[in-house]
Amino acid sequence: MKFSVNWLREFVDLPKNPEEIAELLTRAGIETEKIETRGAKIDKVIVSEITASSRHPNADRLTVCEVDDGSSTKRQIVCGATNYKVGDKVLLALPGAKLPNGTEIRNSKLRGVESEGMLCSPIEIGLGEDASGLLILSPDAKIGAPIGDLFPADTILDVEITPNRGDLLSHFGLAREIAALSGKKLKSMPPKVEMEIKRSGVTIAATRECPFFSARKIDKVKVGPSPQWLRAKIESVGIRSINNIVDISNFVMLEFGQPTHAFDADKLKDGINVRLAQDGEKFLALDGKTYSLTPENLVIADEERAVGIGGVMGGEETGVTDSTKNILLEAAYFLPTSIRRTARNLSLSSDASYRFERGVDPDMILRASHRATELMREIAGGTPAKEIYVAGKLPANPADVSLSYEKCDRVIGVAIKPKTVDEILTRFGLKKTKSTSKGGTWKIPSYRRDLQRDVDLIEEVVRAYGIDRIPGTTRGRFMSMSSADRSHDLETLFLRERLAGCGLSEVRTSKLISKSASAFSEGAIELRNPLSEDHVALRPNLISGLLAVLERNIRAGAERVAIFELGRVFVPPDGNEERRLGILLSGNLATAPIWRSDRKVGDSWLGFFDAKGIIESLGIPELSFRRIEHEKLPLAVGLFSDAVMIGFLGQRPSAKIAPGVFIAELNLDVLLAKEQQTKKFREIERFPVITRDIAMFVPEKISHEDVLQTIKNPIEPLLDSVEVFDCYPGTKGSEERTSLAYRLTYRDKNRTLTNEEVTVAHAKIRERLRRDLGAELRE
Amino acid sequence: MSHPLEELRDNALREIESAHDEKALDNIRVRYLGRSGSISAWGEQMKTLGKDEKPIVGKLLNEVRNALTAAIEERAQKFRVQKESDTLATIDISLPGTPNEIGSLHPLHQMHERGIQIFRRMGFALAEGPDVETEWYCFDALNTPPDHPARNEQDTFYLSDGRLLRTHTSTVQIRAMECAPPPLRVIASGAAYRRDEVDATHSAQFHQIEGLYVDENVSVADLKGELEFFLRELFGFETEVQFRPHYFPFTEPSLEVYVRSKALKRGEHWIEVAGCGMVHPAVFEAVNKARGDKAYDPDKWSGYAFGLGMDRLAMILFDIPDIRLFAQNDLRFLKQFA
Repeated sequence: MKFSVNWLREFVDLPKNPEEIAELLTRAGIETEKIETRGAKIDKVIVSEITASSRHPNADRLTVCEVDDGSSTKRQIVCGATNYKVGDKVLLALPGAKLPNGTEIRNSKLRGVESEGMLCSPIEIGLGEDASGLLILSPDAKIGAPIGDLFPADTILDVEITPNRGDLLSHFGLAREIAALSGKKLKSMPPKVEMEIKRSGVTIAATRECPFFSARKIDKVKVGPSPQWLRAKIESVGIRSINNIVDISNFVMLEFGQPTHAFDADKLKDGINVRLAQDGEKFLALDGKTYSLTPENLVIADEERAVGIGGVMGGEETGVTDSTKNILLEAAYFLPTSIRRTARNLSLSSDASYRFERGVDPDMILRASHRATELMREIAGGTPAKEIYVAGKLPANPADVSLSYEKCDRVIGVAIKPKTVDEILTRFGLKKTKSTSKGGTWKIPSYRRDLQRDVDLIEEVVRAYGIDRIPGTTRGRFMSMSSADRSHDLETLFLRERLAGCGLSEVRTSKLISKSASAFSEGAIELRNPLSEDHVALRPNLISGLLAVLERNIRAGAERVAIFELGRVFVPPDGNEERRLGILLSGNLATAPIWRSDRKVGDSWLGFFDAKGIIESLGIPELSFRRIEHEKLPLAVGLFSDAVMIGFLGQRPSAKIAPGVFIAELNLDVLLAKEQQTKKFREIERFPVITRDIAMFVPEKISHEDVLQTIKNPIEPLLDSVEVFDCYPGTKGSEERTSLAYRLTYRDKNRTLTNEEVTVAHAKIRERLRRDLGAELRE
Repeated sequence: MSHPLEELRDNALREIESAHDEKALDNIRVRYLGRSGSISAWGEQMKTLGKDEKPIVGKLLNEVRNALTAAIEERAQKFRVQKESDTLATIDISLPGTPNEIGSLHPLHQMHERGIQIFRRMGFALAEGPDVETEWYCFDALNTPPDHPARNEQDTFYLSDGRLLRTHTSTVQIRAMECAPPPLRVIASGAAYRRDEVDATHSAQFHQIEGLYVDENVSVADLKGELEFFLRELFGFETEVQFRPHYFPFTEPSLEVYVRSKALKRGEHWIEVAGCGMVHPAVFEAVNKARGDKAYDPDKWSGYAFGLGMDRLAMILFDIPDIRLFAQNDLRFLKQFA
């Protein structure tokens, strides 16, 4: 909310420097977000009246005005605005005036017509952002008066009021808080109510939603523009001036925090009833829109129809207009949760609903009504009825709260003198009703409904005592490793480090995806209330995000994209959250070219076996790969751990964008759930090995796995390991066949082997290959 | 008088010494040690010597042969070393080293990891909770009932089944307390979501580290001291930390935390980095109700909680100007943090 410093000063003495006020508030939890200076003290800008206007002879968009500046001679001014009429009072910058934007006004000729000054729009004199036309002043502005008389210099504080502090949503309320924080006295208080209270004329059917309602009749008002001081005041804090009656209502709200509403009394049919709306009841509000109401919404009604949505907005048909003669002024208390529900359901909020849903001060309702009435008498010449109609009863005062000094010290962590605690609470308007050596019971003022428990009082002590005066302390507590710790360590200390070690870069894509994210995201769980097209659903996998990252980087000119992501996905249809690892490889094997002739490699593209190698390096227990069918991948391989499928690895169909895209995604929950085995020492082999190579042609249908199984089964005790070191497709005649070469390593951990025994074992294996696989062995 | 063999040896050693290349040396070797060289000739001559002379000359001949062989080998080694260093001298060492593919970890992850490591030193264990939550965990249990002005449903993403995306990681406070009785000292790092227009400092998905400490006599002073410690560990010892009262429904008192440090870019201003406060008794009461016991008796236990904005911290620490860079994953961006 915006506050005028001049206005605040009417209630409390303030430091001269606005920065100091801002600091005082901010350090007490009332954050001042912006400080603006307003008003204008510009020499040679004065009030003038437009006395005549004619079209510019040489320019369609300009007019030539004759203005009265209070001197004996009229001035001729060329003007580009169209929002004025003859007789309007406007601001005139005389030759020699220097405007805030740096313009200096001189006598000049515009398209051949003499102009002796300039008529000003709000933006030109620093009174707002409006550049659409002239600033039309109130008719009672005095011709020739300097601008400073109309718009006295002021500072506007834009203050963030937290939702628990509805009592600060007025100038009086904030001044009261400043007085408490700074230990100063309030200079003036809202007026005492002196009027006759009459329990008739209004009825409340919905007493829960509207515990208290009052209406005051003010006859024979003269609706018209507000006097300059009133306009200036409400406009300084961003409220548009409508007419004197509406402006007074807004003024009182800004002053005391209590919204009021003025009805055109002649348009009301008999007595006011406050009731819940009927289902489907239609209501045309002051904003010109028709709302369809439900029994959740409270309405102010006359005999025939609803005339206001209680606490939110009045009706168009009964609003104050220029022809209004008699006023019925409403001031009431509405149940905050009811107002909030209505404002939310109807997507309709107003300055009034904002205050009612945060709770207004019951003690202020009749005072505000009285204040508005008095102003309507003074400004609009109205005649108030001597009585005010009321119904219901004001909400009870908040319950007393007990506070022990010991608890206060314990929560804050420093010992604060009981006397200091009492002083602070008293400054905030609390009254001690019961005092003991250990603490006391406090009566809470009617405007502080947020003070409900002892901790709420302790917070007040912290705010006023000063958080800076509480020295920080540290303590500790030993915590056992949690399952979250374990999975974090596996994810981060092992998987992430290893994947980065494999040359992959970690990415983090949004968990919210667009509808068209990718072909892989069908069935993704959609948000009920998305805000932008980019974020409409929860990602069901990581692959779509990785493909988008690939595309982005290819467009940016990347020649190698090797990335991974570790994160949650939301599995349709229930949205079960699963931790996944996604991998994508595409492009060059190396980021930089290898210039060394001795290191040239045949295949310089990242391929399927690069992706497979990375997955093999992740320490997945009992990992195996099996071909699977995948409708979107021409090559798809299932990843199995202990015979449970945990993910897939595949190649995307070739597209123009990249030479080959290899993607893998696997479920980490399965891995994280497994007990981590601590590695154990195994004796380092002491005896030398003997290696023998086997080169062979096998029919194309024979796989590496077939060869491996044939070599390994039945087990040759001396055979230690087998490695393939060459694989080459070829043909012999019409037959497709593969050339394969294996290195077999023989070892005995207790002795040095002899050539003879290795030869015997090796010969058996060779024979098996020939016999079982039809391999043609090469010598 | 010396033996002719000795004379031969001395001549040969002189020649070896003055041989200027491998070829000259090889010639010398052939001349003396070759099949028809001088030393071989002496071997032949041995046969003609008498019994007395034979062993003496034989011994001498052996010595001479060994001396020459050693001298030639030594000289040859010199030539080899020379040749190698001549070759090495021609290598252009300014050519680039053979590249290794080094991966990188995402800066947001690095930021979380830094935070987690500091908190672990401070004795916090990790906790976690889901991103998709119920209104109870996100609002009701956190003392924000329906129709509470702080319950901002229009800023919350909902699923069609009524569940929502958590708007803060404070949900994990409730989940952690449901699972374990006090004392409890945990942090949770994760994503939260806000239905908000995206710009350079706001994104629909953001990241937090949530902290919760419940114990006997936990105080505002503890909260202050421990967060100050954390922020100084993170940003450096000179970092100034300021606490300002604020309002959150689930803490009382509530505070906002600001830092300022000359070591940081734009560090002359106070920058908001966290919200925190003392756990509201109503939160303990909600947890007790869900647990069906009185484990979190507000009269016995007190606690503090905080939520650190990790995107903001990473932007400050790494001097990153736009939050959207995190989700764009441009490799030219990511590799800067390898």
